[in-house]
Amino acid sequence: WQPILTAGTVLPAFFIIGLIFIPIGIGIFVTSNNIREYEIDYTGTEPSSPCNKCLNVSWDSTPPCTCTINFTLEHSFESNVFMYYGLSNFYQNHRRYVKSRDDSQLNGDNSSLLNPSKECEPYRTNEDKPIAPCGAIANSMFNDTLELYRIDNDTRTPITLIKKGIAWWTDKNVKFRNPTGDGNNLTALFQGTTKPVNWPKPVYMLDSEPDNNGFINEDFIVWMRTAALPTFRKLYRLIERKNSFQPTLQAGKYSLDIAYNYPVHSFDGRKRMILSTISWMGGKNPFLGIAYITVGSICFFLGVVLLFIHHKYGNRNTSADIPN
Amino acid sequence: CAGEENWVDSRTIYVGHREPPPGAEAYIPQRFPDNRIVSSKYTFWNFIPKNLFEQFRRIANFYFLIIFLVQLIIDTPTSPVTSGLPLLFVITVTAIKQGYEDWLRHKADNAINQCPVHFIQHGKLVRKQSRKLRVGDIVMVTEDEKFPCDLIFLSSSRGDGTCFVTTTSLDGESSHKTYYAVQDTKAFHNEQEIDALHATIECEQPQPDLYKFVGRINVYHDRNEPIARPLGSENLLLRGATLKNTEKIFGVAIYTGMETKMALNYQSKSQKRSAVEKSMNVFLVVYLCILVSKALINTVLKYAWQSEPFRDEPWYNQKTEPEKKRNLFLQAFTDFLAFMVLFNYIIPVSMYVTVEMQKFLGSYFIAWDEEMFDEAIGEGPLVNTSDLNEELGQIEYIFTDKTGTLTENNMEFVECCIEGHVYVPHVICNGQILHDCTGIDMIDSSPGGSGKEREELFFRALCLCHTVQVKEDDSIDGLKKSQVPRKSCIYISSSPDEVALVEGIQRLGYTYLRLKDNHMEILNRENNIERFELLEIFSFDSVRRRMSVIVKSSTGDIFLFCKGADSSIFPRVKEGKIEQIRSRVQRNAVEGLRTLCVAYKKLTEKEYSNVQRLLQNAKLALQDREKKLAEVYEKIERDFILLGATAVEDRLQEKAADTIEALQKAGIKVWVLTGDKMETAAATCYACKLFRRNTQILELTTKKIEEQSLHDVLFDLNKTVIRQNGSLTRDTFSGLSTDTQDYGLIIDGASLSLIMKPRHDGSSGNYREIFLNICRNCSAVLCCRMAPLQKAQIVKLIKLSKERPITLAIGDGANDVSMILEAHVGIGIIGKEGRQAARNSDYAIPKFKHLKKMLLVHGHLYYIRISELVQYFFYKNVCFIFPQFLYQFFCGFSQQ
Repeated sequence: WQPILTAGTVLPAFFIIGLIFIPIGIGIFVTSNNIREYEIDYTGTEPSSPCNKCLNVSWDSTPPCTCTINFTLEHSFESNVFMYYGLSNFYQNHRRYVKSRDDSQLNGDNSSLLNPSKECEPYRTNEDKPIAPCGAIANSMFNDTLELYRIDNDTRTPITLIKKGIAWWTDKNVKFRNPTGDGNNLTALFQGTTKPVNWPKPVYMLDSEPDNNGFINEDFIVWMRTAALPTFRKLYRLIERKNSFQPTLQAGKYSLDIAYNYPVHSFDGRKRMILSTISWMGGKNPFLGIAYITVGSICFFLGVVLLFIHHKYGNRNTSADIPN
Repeated sequence: CAGEENWVDSRTIYVGHREPPPGAEAYIPQRFPDNRIVSSKYTFWNFIPKNLFEQFRRIANFYFLIIFLVQLIIDTPTSPVTSGLPLLFVITVTAIKQGYEDWLRHKADNAINQCPVHFIQHGKLVRKQSRKLRVGDIVMVTEDEKFPCDLIFLSSSRGDGTCFVTTTSLDGESSHKTYYAVQDTKAFHNEQEIDALHATIECEQPQPDLYKFVGRINVYHDRNEPIARPLGSENLLLRGATLKNTEKIFGVAIYTGMETKMALNYQSKSQKRSAVEKSMNVFLVVYLCILVSKALINTVLKYAWQSEPFRDEPWYNQKTEPEKKRNLFLQAFTDFLAFMVLFNYIIPVSMYVTVEMQKFLGSYFIAWDEEMFDEAIGEGPLVNTSDLNEELGQIEYIFTDKTGTLTENNMEFVECCIEGHVYVPHVICNGQILHDCTGIDMIDSSPGGSGKEREELFFRALCLCHTVQVKEDDSIDGLKKSQVPRKSCIYISSSPDEVALVEGIQRLGYTYLRLKDNHMEILNRENNIERFELLEIFSFDSVRRRMSVIVKSSTGDIFLFCKGADSSIFPRVKEGKIEQIRSRVQRNAVEGLRTLCVAYKKLTEKEYSNVQRLLQNAKLALQDREKKLAEVYEKIERDFILLGATAVEDRLQEKAADTIEALQKAGIKVWVLTGDKMETAAATCYACKLFRRNTQILELTTKKIEEQSLHDVLFDLNKTVIRQNGSLTRDTFSGLSTDTQDYGLIIDGASLSLIMKPRHDGSSGNYREIFLNICRNCSAVLCCRMAPLQKAQIVKLIKLSKERPITLAIGDGANDVSMILEAHVGIGIIGKEGRQAARNSDYAIPKFKHLKKMLLVHGHLYYIRISELVQYFFYKNVCFIFPQFLYQFFCGFSQQ
């Protein structure tokens, strides 16, 4: 099929494309613009930063190095707020890294628990004991603790951070399973394994609640879903809107308390904390809207130009196709 | 026999496996292959290894095999399964297809090898399977059976020891040919007699030439010296030919199985590859380069990026111990291979299969085309190879046969000219024959008394001077059918002209009835039967280009009637209105009619007996029989009295002119290659608008070369053409070009062979180059007097010329097969001269006019489709792989 391009078909096509795309673009752009987003880099590379003292922290420093960053929200966040941590220059997509996990171990397979896959090397065993969970991904799990406070007339009120519901349902309920056995005592179930080298605590002590502990700890699950690009953000906590009269986060002063455990300086990494609301189309992304508007406008503009040309010169080409 | 010593190799065959009498010669049993024909490629056992080997010779398959092996050996981003499975699928599908085809071939072979053959053992008739036939067996073949192997013809049920054979499936000639039994054995008519034959045959080792055979038979009678008889090709019945009009024959097998001339001639059709496939391969190489360079770039970048240790091994992503220890260069090499594997999909694994499927399904579009269906023969176009569909759209040169392709090969008697008076059977109007009219229309005034006599003589001559046979039933068996169904007799002849003449004369009132007891019977205008005793036939041959008969009328007069081409008759005429007839003949020739002249001479008894004696001597000569006969003919066929001339029209196929015009408009150069003579061929070319009125004809013929040297002629022509070209470019620049003069070139076979002959002295340039240059600048080229091999030579010449144009050859007869096989695309016309051409072609169409649609519609569409498909495939794969490539920059070149 080969369309025959005439003014009669091309001009309406241009106008229709323009007329459809421009409103779509505007809609998307406005939606994206309504999303509130706030980002703090707390790596602490600059000497002025409060976290600078923690820059060269190591894994096992106890007590953890803590720092506090104060910030001000200019606009209030109306709907539910998502709290992310972001890492830069962290190659979670490196092939050696991505492969370094044992999915059947994470799925609660007892034999894999004690005999993890070869892929986990060199994070497979430690002191002749199998590591649970094994592999580079689990070993490098993000372990900073972030806490948010609202500062109101010099009083710090903590903001409730919800740590459940941040993982995918399928991950939490299908892909990740704790090992099965007699009783629900995770300590007993993980008998014979050892913690990943970099972890301060074994996997069965990640959380106090039993349905968020072990392999089904949601922070762990979120981490295990590797990011595709070296700069990424992962969901950390949720902040729910209390009631419909009050915004979730009012404009004002806040402070972020950080237990700085995770070293990124050695590979030039950055750490961020992001607060964001979402809309029906996800997070803040003005690009799509702008692209729609641009294409629509170009089409509309070309339509106008072509219409002009057609109107002015169009009726000439019927008469003179045999140049002398 | 002469030349016997020169036989490089000969075989001795013991007829009926009987030893020769002691003392004659040592009995050396020789081993010959049995009569099994094998055309299949694989056996049950070697199918898998052989087929796999064949398949992996294909570059794409081999490539994927390598990728697969690399994946098995080193640690790669994709698992071996992902590339192994498609490869396995492709290989299996192809293997199943080829296995099925081979199974069909096996079945066909078995059918042939197991068909029953009658042969004689200990005086009895035995039925056996064909494959058990051995050299030396005596075989009986009955009418309409095919010969199971190459036989020496011993005897037939016909008293004169002849039989009739069609070799349609061998060389495409549908005419009946006469073969002669060995003189000493033709008397054996039943099994016992034939079994008693005691003889040996010496003959050459098998060779593929169908028309050449040298041998000798030694017949032993009791205690006597053996009688030696020469054997020639007229004694050799070839496998694949069919016995006709003869009840049964006996023969002895000399070549069996794969040694028969048919099997030796069976050349497997060389695989023709289309230009698209070739360019596809070029694409593949280019893509391979892209792939390698991508992998190389990535490897280099990877190591550059990794040079900083915190990138190579950040704390969160340590290497394992063996990885750390590995040699850097080995590591780099495996990385390179891993990148290759990662990007390997840039070369589409499924493309070959998809393209083949597309072509296979696409080929049905031609076969389904209702506009190309021919109702007359009830057949549509046939597609023999689907590989070349798209080539149809890229044709630059068409080589076409004339007879049967441009013309219908359906001879029509148009007129005769007696003593300068022109007679036209007026029943022919617009090419339609009205059967109920039998009168004639005399254009000139009615001739006088003597004219009347001559006229009758003329008609009788035409009625008698031929080798037409009458078949008295009206069943159609693929042979020439009479145009006059109400008479329910069918004329069969080796030459369609003769049939046309006899039929034409029938409409003029003289009907040839039959040949009975050596008497020819004709029904004259008064419905009386006249009987002539047939004394001699001097059969037609292409050197003499005439034939004669000697007949004795009921009144006792002996006449010699001769019929032949004008050039061979006129010099032998001593009386008659030569000038008038000559002018008429020339006019007819220019109109594209085939002309024949008829002359006669009266012989006295004495003269006849003289003739008889001469002939007898010549026929009995063992050596140079042909030559001596020719000499005798020369002696006899002279001093004729010219009677008149006939004209037979070979009508153009419908819309042939239309088609050629359309093709020329499409920028395709049309060449006509024919074996016909120049005048006729040129006339046909004018008639089908290959040459137009304003076409300037350049002639490169023997006549012209005789006048000047070949060198001068070529240079002259070249100059003409080049000058034309120069002025043409100037014209186009000045924008004043009007109707450009186009050139037509006529060349004949003899001059062509002069041009093609490699020059040893190397004095002045290459004639071929000049010739090609001339041809390229001519809009139409006509090559006449071409041998089949020369046709192929021309095609090859053009095919291998600088621009490598894509050529198409179209023809209908066995003489076109070589050129059909040579050209890029061969098209056969499902025509009258057998199906040989159609079978060897890539496509077969019922009529020449269908070529127009085939090339300009189907070919064009196929070309567009296939190029879009291939381009889309590569585009798709680039789209698929390029993001992968870019992603490497974001994942630390880790082949993720």
